Amino acid sequence: MSDERAPGLLAGNSLNLRLARRSLGLIALCLMVLPFADLAITTHDPWAELGRMLTGLLHPDILATESLPHAIALTIGFALWGTLLGMLLGFPLALLFHRSRLVRAGCAFVRAIHELFWALLLLQVFGLSALTAIAALTIPYAGIFAKVYAEILELTPRAPVDALPEGVGRLSRFVYAELPMVWARLSSYTRYRFECAMRSSVLLGFVGLPTLGFHLESAFREGRYAEAGALLWVFYLMIASLALWGHRRLLPWIALGSLFLLGPWPDIDGALLWRFVSVDLWPKPLLEGNWSGLWQWFGEIPDLLPAIGNTLLLGLMGTAGSLLVALLLWPLASRHFGNRPTRMAGKGVLILMRSTPELMLAFIFLLVLGPSMLPAWLALSLHNGALIAFLVARHADAIVPGSHALPASACYAYELLPRLYGGLLALLFYRAETIIRETALLGMLGIATLGFHIDSSFAYLMFDQAFFLLLVTAGLNIAVDALARRYRPRETADTASERDHPAGEATC
Amino acid sequence: MKELVHFDGEALGHARHTVLADLTLGLQDGQRVALLGPSGVGKSTLLATLRERLGQRAAWCPQEHGLVPPLSVYHNIYMGRLEHHSALANLVNLLRPRRDAWRDIQALCAELGLSGLLKRPVVQLSGGQRQRVAIARALYQVRDVFLGDELVASIDPYQARRLLTMIQRQHATCVIALHQRELALTHFDHVWGLRDGQLILDAPAHELTLADLDTLYPDAGSTDTRPEPA
Repeated sequence: MSDERAPGLLAGNSLNLRLARRSLGLIALCLMVLPFADLAITTHDPWAELGRMLTGLLHPDILATESLPHAIALTIGFALWGTLLGMLLGFPLALLFHRSRLVRAGCAFVRAIHELFWALLLLQVFGLSALTAIAALTIPYAGIFAKVYAEILELTPRAPVDALPEGVGRLSRFVYAELPMVWARLSSYTRYRFECAMRSSVLLGFVGLPTLGFHLESAFREGRYAEAGALLWVFYLMIASLALWGHRRLLPWIALGSLFLLGPWPDIDGALLWRFVSVDLWPKPLLEGNWSGLWQWFGEIPDLLPAIGNTLLLGLMGTAGSLLVALLLWPLASRHFGNRPTRMAGKGVLILMRSTPELMLAFIFLLVLGPSMLPAWLALSLHNGALIAFLVARHADAIVPGSHALPASACYAYELLPRLYGGLLALLFYRAETIIRETALLGMLGIATLGFHIDSSFAYLMFDQAFFLLLVTAGLNIAVDALARRYRPRETADTASERDHPAGEATC
Repeated sequence: MKELVHFDGEALGHARHTVLADLTLGLQDGQRVALLGPSGVGKSTLLATLRERLGQRAAWCPQEHGLVPPLSVYHNIYMGRLEHHSALANLVNLLRPRRDAWRDIQALCAELGLSGLLKRPVVQLSGGQRQRVAIARALYQVRDVFLGDELVASIDPYQARRLLTMIQRQHATCVIALHQRELALTHFDHVWGLRDGQLILDAPAHELTLADLDTLYPDAGSTDTRPEPA
């Protein structure tokens, strides 16, 4: 008879133990690099500032903003056209996605650059116009649609195609036996992406385009919290009421109607545009073939390595933070815990946090805590943690626990978490790509990540430098995505969960 | 009589896995064949191979139906003749049904008890209705030979007889996999019986009794249906 010894701490080879070791490794790595992060609170009295903000949120002044309806209409118009054109470009690309390495690489590249960076770039040629706003959404969305649509199309059931008579053409086969089978998933993803576009459209205000975010930023920055509070409420209402006005039959009319508001359209000077693309974006020594000059040009880029380091550092901290937040918060919205009022409140908090884009959260925390990595870290962790927690709670609700009348802690630790953890971690690793993208972007608020230098290079009209930094950001993003893909748990304890949340749901 | 398909000691199956070994079999023109055997014995494999050999001459009604649930009954049946029209005509038909096809399919549906359901998405139909849509699609193909896999599994016995009669009126030759042994003797003139990866029965229906057919099913002999102790 073999005498089996009880295993030591976290020893063993079961799936969840392996996942637990992987997660603890992530958190340990985060703790190790934490001393390098600047987490100072620099404001004099953060609590008082937060109090004033909350007062503003509770006593909103809806009439303080001039031309609020116009800002709302523009926000919706940009989002709608951005999504629509992104869809029209992305769909044909999705059909080529698995066949062409070039298409895959191109899509990965345009996806890797945040909407706001595209806006900053396009701003230089098209000015503060609807063209800039719509193209800034359309370009990355085309890449995202191509990837997600391709993933959905790949899962098309085969049976209807096999049942078709011989000799049916490719197009007929596609529209009769393939497309209808995945139509519901395609359209639900498109709808979800439109919600993301609404958030991004609001954010376009941060670079000066006249959407809701523009008024929101100036109201917050100037301390007009009653107005800022009202704008925040308007934003939440817009997202929450999407199901009411975002009807399939209504959207085309809204899109057409918004066309009248989007102008004036910029005059496009072909020569100027060509000069920008062929000359301004590239380092001068490179165009002249002067290699030693190019070396010198590299040397003049300020703090490139610290910026990359900070971006990675904050991205790692954000990922670990999201993991902890998600682990703590998902029971708030799950039917296994609490009672109806606590669940309603929990769900409300999670929805509020996941609907508020990181940039906006970070901006608000920045005003409260002062410029350091802390507000960005909080924003990344809370937004992404809440988003993952919400999805995990939905999966938890589908589970029927084996034993009844367990205390909550036992139910959490023995019944639910073991079944959910693989899915949770998979979501987190899917999310890593978005987190690193947002991390770079948060630099625009003054945090020393890559975005800070991109923003200031554009401000000083050093387009070559800005473009180079954009390429670095995109490269970093693609590398992190590849890394996350490598370590993403493939098998989960609850295999059903893997299929109902495709990659798409977690990438906004 | 003309032989449409002939197997001479062939092995059928997938890439690495032989389902039916050493199969010798012929399908004659004008023969109505019932294909019997326990689940998983290779009936579908044999039918799929027959379909491959017969090509354009076979109308096909698979076991899983292969219907497109979000599309209407009309469009699902129309798919039986999808290859007869240009891609453009097929596209237009999705938006506005072709008059001629609509008329034909309406008549077909009336015979199958699907009247008034032409515009309804298949996803909203019952199991039996879906089965009949799948049969309608195969009938709409208008081919010489009808190949059907467990067509009448989810349909009551009276309707099953009516459907078989309808199919056989339109097709002199057919091969249909079944589980109802009685139907095999009453509605077919030949029986193929499979068991343990072998064709063990290949005889005219009038020479067979229900007891002969029972030998195909391993559990049929004992009245005690409980599993034997290992």
